[in-house]
Amino acid sequence: MIQVSNLSKSFSLNRQQKKELGTTQNAVLAVDNISFECMPGRVHALLGPNGAGKTTTLRMLSTIFKPSKGSILINNIDAVANPQEARRHIGFLTGSAGLYARLTPNELISYFGELYSVSKNDIELRKKRLYDLLDMHDFQNKRIGKLSTGMKQKVSICRTMIHDPQVVIFDEPTSGLDVITAENIIQLIRDCKNQGKTVIFSSHIMGEVDLLCDDITIIHKGKVLYNDTMEAFRAQQQAPNLTAEFIRIVHDQKPELA
Amino acid sequence: MIFTVFKKELRDTLRDRRTVMMMIVIPTLVFPLIMSVFMSVSESFQKAAAEKKVKIGLVSNQAGSLEADLLKVPDALGKKEFIPFTDTLALVKAIRSDSIQVGIYIPNNAEQLKKAMKPIAVTVFHDGTDLGMKDRADAYLSYIQENWKKQRYSELKIDEAKVTPLVMNYSNVASSKEMIGKLAGGFLPYLFIAFGFMGCMFPAIDLFTGEKERSTIETLLTTPVPRWKILFGKMGVVVLSGLLAATFNLLGIYLSIEVLDIVKDPIVLQAIKDILSPAFIVMLYALLCPLIIFFAGIMIPIAVRAKSFKEAQSIISPLNLLIILPAMVGFFPGIELNEVTALIPVVNIVLATKELIAGTLEWHLVAISFGVMVLLAVTAILFSYRKFENENNVIS
Repeated sequence: MIQVSNLSKSFSLNRQQKKELGTTQNAVLAVDNISFECMPGRVHALLGPNGAGKTTTLRMLSTIFKPSKGSILINNIDAVANPQEARRHIGFLTGSAGLYARLTPNELISYFGELYSVSKNDIELRKKRLYDLLDMHDFQNKRIGKLSTGMKQKVSICRTMIHDPQVVIFDEPTSGLDVITAENIIQLIRDCKNQGKTVIFSSHIMGEVDLLCDDITIIHKGKVLYNDTMEAFRAQQQAPNLTAEFIRIVHDQKPELA
Repeated sequence: MIFTVFKKELRDTLRDRRTVMMMIVIPTLVFPLIMSVFMSVSESFQKAAAEKKVKIGLVSNQAGSLEADLLKVPDALGKKEFIPFTDTLALVKAIRSDSIQVGIYIPNNAEQLKKAMKPIAVTVFHDGTDLGMKDRADAYLSYIQENWKKQRYSELKIDEAKVTPLVMNYSNVASSKEMIGKLAGGFLPYLFIAFGFMGCMFPAIDLFTGEKERSTIETLLTTPVPRWKILFGKMGVVVLSGLLAATFNLLGIYLSIEVLDIVKDPIVLQAIKDILSPAFIVMLYALLCPLIIFFAGIMIPIAVRAKSFKEAQSIISPLNLLIILPAMVGFFPGIELNEVTALIPVVNIVLATKELIAGTLEWHLVAISFGVMVLLAVTAILFSYRKFENENNVIS
């Protein structure tokens, strides 16, 4: 499970960044005191418009960024104090992440298995299972740079799952993918849920959220606007569909529009 | 884990054509190629110059013995053709227009002066930019001078030895090894440093800025491997690439000597082979290792901070000059390793290598040089670590 309490993240700005943002402030607050929980066997959606702080939040959860304030518990491990231990439980998949183009899927997945201290035997067993599941045998020894987008996405899934993480973080995983490739990701999320893993994912596609999610957190300008189950979200829904409801919540809460 | 990262990065690096070119192909081939081109060009120029028939303008109003002897100079000293001129003005004009290459003016009273056993002032006109032509004229006239001297000694019944009070014999007490070390020894560390730097550059940019640009760093940082281990694994590949580039360059030099036969003198050749002993190579690497780590340590923070390959390259490339200039100190014969130069980074390694080649190494100076470079290497590693630890630098 993931427990996030009073989490904040600010970034200091250099002279060039201040100029680009047109501000005189020395720091920008990307995430402002947010709290939520993601439970095992449930899929939690983290939604928000561009620049809301979703990626920063997910990067803090995956321990890439250190929070400025607050706490994160990953399966009861303090991810701020002990990030290395927390990482053993986390699988992280982003739509924008690249792969080592000069390696083959086999080499890349074994490499990540070793980085997660998975034994050689287990790496081979898990690779076989994942290759069967994702139909990857034909291209396992081809250079990744020569693979199609769909094939690359399958390699990314394998890389994320090779250490059998209990917590899986997806940052806009289907962004820019065609429907067939995106379906692989959606199936992966379903599988993770069925296996009792804790899943959190961010997306702009409300159809995916509607299809997959059990819980929902909406953030805007670094603050939580909504945090409840999908059931509760649907029950309080005022707009005709989920997308319109999401827009309504974000607009209603915008200080300048309030 | 450091080794796991190292192995993967090495495999990745060796599959990058650009890096392999800079690390293996260019360092191995550059010296043999330059030397073979230089040798073939220089040989063909020498051959052409030796075979060239030099046109010599001759201003002389009488057909005296000097004119006759000039015509008798053997072709072994270079082929020639004499063209008579009536005055020196026309002679100079002809040299300027390259219709002749040299002009010789013989005074009208040359024959009388010869008979009176007095010196004849011969003027040689030449174009200073037409290299070798003055030497040709000099060779012809010196040949006549020697013959005439012998004739005069004979006519005057003088024993030549009696008018030669001094005969100089020079004996060089420096060994060939020392000569090579002190005079040409700067060349080897210069090449090592230049190629070591080049060898580090592309892997440093590719393994740090490249990871950012390709968005692969994010997934690497979510693994439970401490960042310093990732840094060390990557840094190991950068350092190894620098050392490999330097090694392949050394191999190229060795191939040039062995295959292209660039060193003709057997004594010098033996001295070079003696220098390139296993003990020398081990010592050379011991000196170079901290230097290459230092190179990696200054490149990595730049590569970590840069947002694109182009940006990193535009900052690191000019650094090459800063490294190469002190490395050139080795070319100046007067500068030696002492308590002051041992403290100057890069310069100390170049001079220590020179002394090592010459076999005149003072161990306390080597220890100072080594200590300075190790200190700098450690500082550079710590600096790299700080930059790599900073999440703002690593994630774009």
